Amino acid sequence: MTATVSGRRDRRRAALMGRAPQNTPGSGWSYLFLAVVIAFSAFPLYWMFVIATNTDEALAKIPPQVLPGGQLLTNLREVFSMQDVFFMQSLVNSVIVSSVVTASVLFFCSLAGFAFAKLRFKGRHALMVMVILTMTVPNQLGVVALYILMGKMPGEGGWNGTLLAVIVPGLVSAFGVFYMRQFILEAVPDELIEAARVDGATTMRIFWSVVVPAVRPAMAVLGLLTFVATWNEFQWPLITLGGTDYPTSMVALSDLASGNYVLYRRVLAGALIATLPLLVMLFIGGRQIVRGIMEGAVKS
Amino acid sequence: MSTTRAVPPAARRTAPAAPGGQRAPVSLRDRLYRFDTRYVPYLLIAPFFLLFAVFGLFPIAFNAVVALRNWRLDDPTLTGWAGLANFERLLTDGDFWNALYNTFGIFLLSTVPQLLLALVVASLLNRRLRAQTWFRVGVLLPYITPVTASTLIFSVVFARDTGIANWALSLLGIGETEPIDWRSAKWSSWIAIATMVNWKWIGYNALLYLAAMQSIPRDVYEAAAVDGAGPWRQLWRITVPMIRPVVIFTVVLSTIGGLQLFTEPMLFDSNPALATGGADGEWQTIAQLIYKVGWRDLNLGYAAAMSWALFLIILIVAAGNALITNRLGGGR
Amino acid sequence: MTRSLTRWAGTAAVGAVSLVLVAACSGNSGGGGSEPGGPVTLKINFWGDFGLDELKAKYEDANPNVKISLNTGEYNAQHEDLQKKLIAGSGAPDIAAIDEGFVIQFRGQADKFVNLLDKGAGKYESSYLPWKWKQTLTPDGKTQIGLGTDVGGLAMCYRTDLFKAAGLPTERDQVSALWPSWDQFVAVGQQYTAKSGKKFIDSATNIFNPVLGQQQVGFYDENETLRMDGGPKVAFDVAAKMIAADLSANLAAFSPEWNSGFVKGNFAVLACPAWMQGHIKNTAPGTSGKWDVAAIPGGGGNWGGSFLTIPKQGKNVDEAYKFLEWLIQPEQQIEIFKQVGNLPSQPALYQDPAIKDFTNPFFSNAPVGQIFAKTAENLTPQYLGKKNGPTRVAVENVINRLATGNLKGKPDQAWAEAVKEAEKAAKS
Repeated sequence: MTATVSGRRDRRRAALMGRAPQNTPGSGWSYLFLAVVIAFSAFPLYWMFVIATNTDEALAKIPPQVLPGGQLLTNLREVFSMQDVFFMQSLVNSVIVSSVVTASVLFFCSLAGFAFAKLRFKGRHALMVMVILTMTVPNQLGVVALYILMGKMPGEGGWNGTLLAVIVPGLVSAFGVFYMRQFILEAVPDELIEAARVDGATTMRIFWSVVVPAVRPAMAVLGLLTFVATWNEFQWPLITLGGTDYPTSMVALSDLASGNYVLYRRVLAGALIATLPLLVMLFIGGRQIVRGIMEGAVKS
Repeated sequence: MSTTRAVPPAARRTAPAAPGGQRAPVSLRDRLYRFDTRYVPYLLIAPFFLLFAVFGLFPIAFNAVVALRNWRLDDPTLTGWAGLANFERLLTDGDFWNALYNTFGIFLLSTVPQLLLALVVASLLNRRLRAQTWFRVGVLLPYITPVTASTLIFSVVFARDTGIANWALSLLGIGETEPIDWRSAKWSSWIAIATMVNWKWIGYNALLYLAAMQSIPRDVYEAAAVDGAGPWRQLWRITVPMIRPVVIFTVVLSTIGGLQLFTEPMLFDSNPALATGGADGEWQTIAQLIYKVGWRDLNLGYAAAMSWALFLIILIVAAGNALITNRLGGGR
Repeated sequence: MTRSLTRWAGTAAVGAVSLVLVAACSGNSGGGGSEPGGPVTLKINFWGDFGLDELKAKYEDANPNVKISLNTGEYNAQHEDLQKKLIAGSGAPDIAAIDEGFVIQFRGQADKFVNLLDKGAGKYESSYLPWKWKQTLTPDGKTQIGLGTDVGGLAMCYRTDLFKAAGLPTERDQVSALWPSWDQFVAVGQQYTAKSGKKFIDSATNIFNPVLGQQQVGFYDENETLRMDGGPKVAFDVAAKMIAADLSANLAAFSPEWNSGFVKGNFAVLACPAWMQGHIKNTAPGTSGKWDVAAIPGGGGNWGGSFLTIPKQGKNVDEAYKFLEWLIQPEQQIEIFKQVGNLPSQPALYQDPAIKDFTNPFFSNAPVGQIFAKTAENLTPQYLGKKNGPTRVAVENVINRLATGNLKGKPDQAWAEAVKEAEKAAKS
């Protein structure tokens, strides 16, 4: 503390020597640099807002318009009234897909994570290694076959073009299993489970009344991460839902950018709406998301 | 509460094997219990493995089959085994090699600065800061933004006549008379796309590094105090070697992600529906080419073969990168 | 605490399952048919603006059991999508628009479309320009897959305010007299650019296309042989000349930057098939009254023009035909012309005062009815091959590269490249 106050460079350096970074107060430069990083991170979002709130004329000016205008509602109305884009429908679809996938990932991955962390059964090590291996398989590899597979699913024309095609493959995630296992391993003491067993609780009962309450924070983190990832998914939804009148919001955005009357203000007004739910989530659950990412890093 | 419950499971398990091979009568409750401990664990992990087998594993295996067949969406009559024809075609396909070249170019331009900057940002976040959480959440803004949205924003930023990137450059005296047409050449389109990728992932990687940095024991720094390292040397000589596993992890992750780059090149096109990645495929990546071949040219067999090639490439590069990073870190 | 959480999780799981079911059901209902007697939804796929917004409301009012869903999309993507759906056997719209550039390709799959002759469309043959009628008719004359909407007779739209500022005449006859040939057009452009310091045209591809439309033979002859050395070479040379003289703003046609170019006045002229009027009006409503329409250099020519077809897989084929038949009646065709400028392909209408005397305030009250009718009457149609669509995209890409990219300023090399790319597209 005294070192920063003194301000002398050499004395400061001498004081810093041997000190862990966590104990080193940030200098003015580090604040400045971080501020620049944040500004760089936020600028595109600000720019999206500027363009989404202006008219074509304002945007055609040189030097460019740098302040938000008052056209947001007009632009949004245009976006929502474009019949071929199905923007409203796409938002509803995205909410459905992301919520269902999140709920399912939370449920199934906690179950499996619990089994891997606390239950003894044959082959569990081998199976866990399989889970970890599947995390590294690039999803590119299967898309062609997945598309064919979806076409063969029951129902007229298969599942391609329906939300099932984007929901069902997302219902479980290897990362989720892995993450929940790590958390349950630490957060749920074995004694607690033994005690419940002695009390005559079944495995499922233990899961609901011992494990679930203990891993609530981890579920919040996994839920946030899953929701964000699902909402942002583009390639597979584009392949299976592209060209239908039943897109997700990401696919609708790409439609918005590829008609014959593509106007930047309209495209970015749409992008703004599709981004907003996630910004709200970051605002509310930012701390959890940060923690989730950092915990995931240390454990792997 | 029944007393039998208190018997430790191990003891109960031996109970049925009574001497003389005569089985003791097993109560329903016992059976349930045995079922519960022996089979329920499999039931708990079954949903994951079932769903994964059907929608994860099977497509990958089936993809290999598709790659060896003629499989066209525009001509269902043209089917049957193609042998290695799809793979042979790959070797002489100029589009594929062009896409491969682009993918690697963009990959290098995005991964290297991304990870280096992430290290610097992480080391600053690792200081004792005011409003610490605020900074950490702030660097995650790009991570949370959908790639579709951010790519469309950058498309506008890199527009030739109205883009703010060219305006800013013109203030510096670059391209004043003839603004840079970002979409007309490989180098400029690569820079534009690499900027998007860097923007998206610096903060995320910084948090991964930060997590690892915080688990370095503090006395390591004390021990290293003798060589009088300033913060910068401290970072490169103590911190980075200590977090090597995470650095390798991020290198592998960015390799897997970077070589599959899709959304950015797709939506950077002024007409995304064409999936050509520029008038001459200036920035068409392999993932984008797979999409074009599969769903615009409707040749699924060939697209499947390309996916396999991409998979192999990713495997080799990821392993190679992990090795190199390991060496570099270990040399110090 | 535990209990409430349990209940919460249980609810979430139940909710998840039911949402999946809801999603599944609503997802499938999109392509499903409707019960007999119930309301019918007709889905129409097209691109750009077919001027149907108000007609849709009118038809729905008159036919309460019919709902019409208009789906405009990107030009190439709509045709590719239709092709995909025809093969898949499901998912195609009830009515699909097809541009003349793709029509031969789809005519070759006539069995996938409703034969409109079976529906009694034969009585309209005499109303149509004969070549327009034949474009969608199979060579054996037995199957008619579509009914023509508009023709893309060519004129030249120009900005009077920008012409004035550059010291050029602004009156449409005088402007037409400036450029009887494309060479003279280039000269005018150079004059304009020298005076104003601005670019003259929007994009070289938008010169290539109309010039190609004026040639006897386009990309393919009637034997489906690629004929790059004929018409395409002529058109390519004119486009290359524009680029070499630095007259082009190099805005890729139909890109967002091209659209904002209208707003900013980045170019002073634009080759105008009748349907382009609607695009200008939609894109830059603020330039109303600043445009006018003159004759195109070289005289005549056609660029684009569409048909409406009924894919056989549709569930409401009869309702679709009823609507289609209603749409091609003179009253509706004239309405479309007034709305967006698309010129009908039924010559009798050109004499109708509603078209003949129509002046468009957006285009300085130019008598666009007369102007475009005259271009349409003088048309000699071109045969457009099966691979016309992809071939055009391939050559346009080369022209764009000549203007901006690695071929910049190398017309000879660019031409070789164009031939190569066109051959590739022909084989694809």
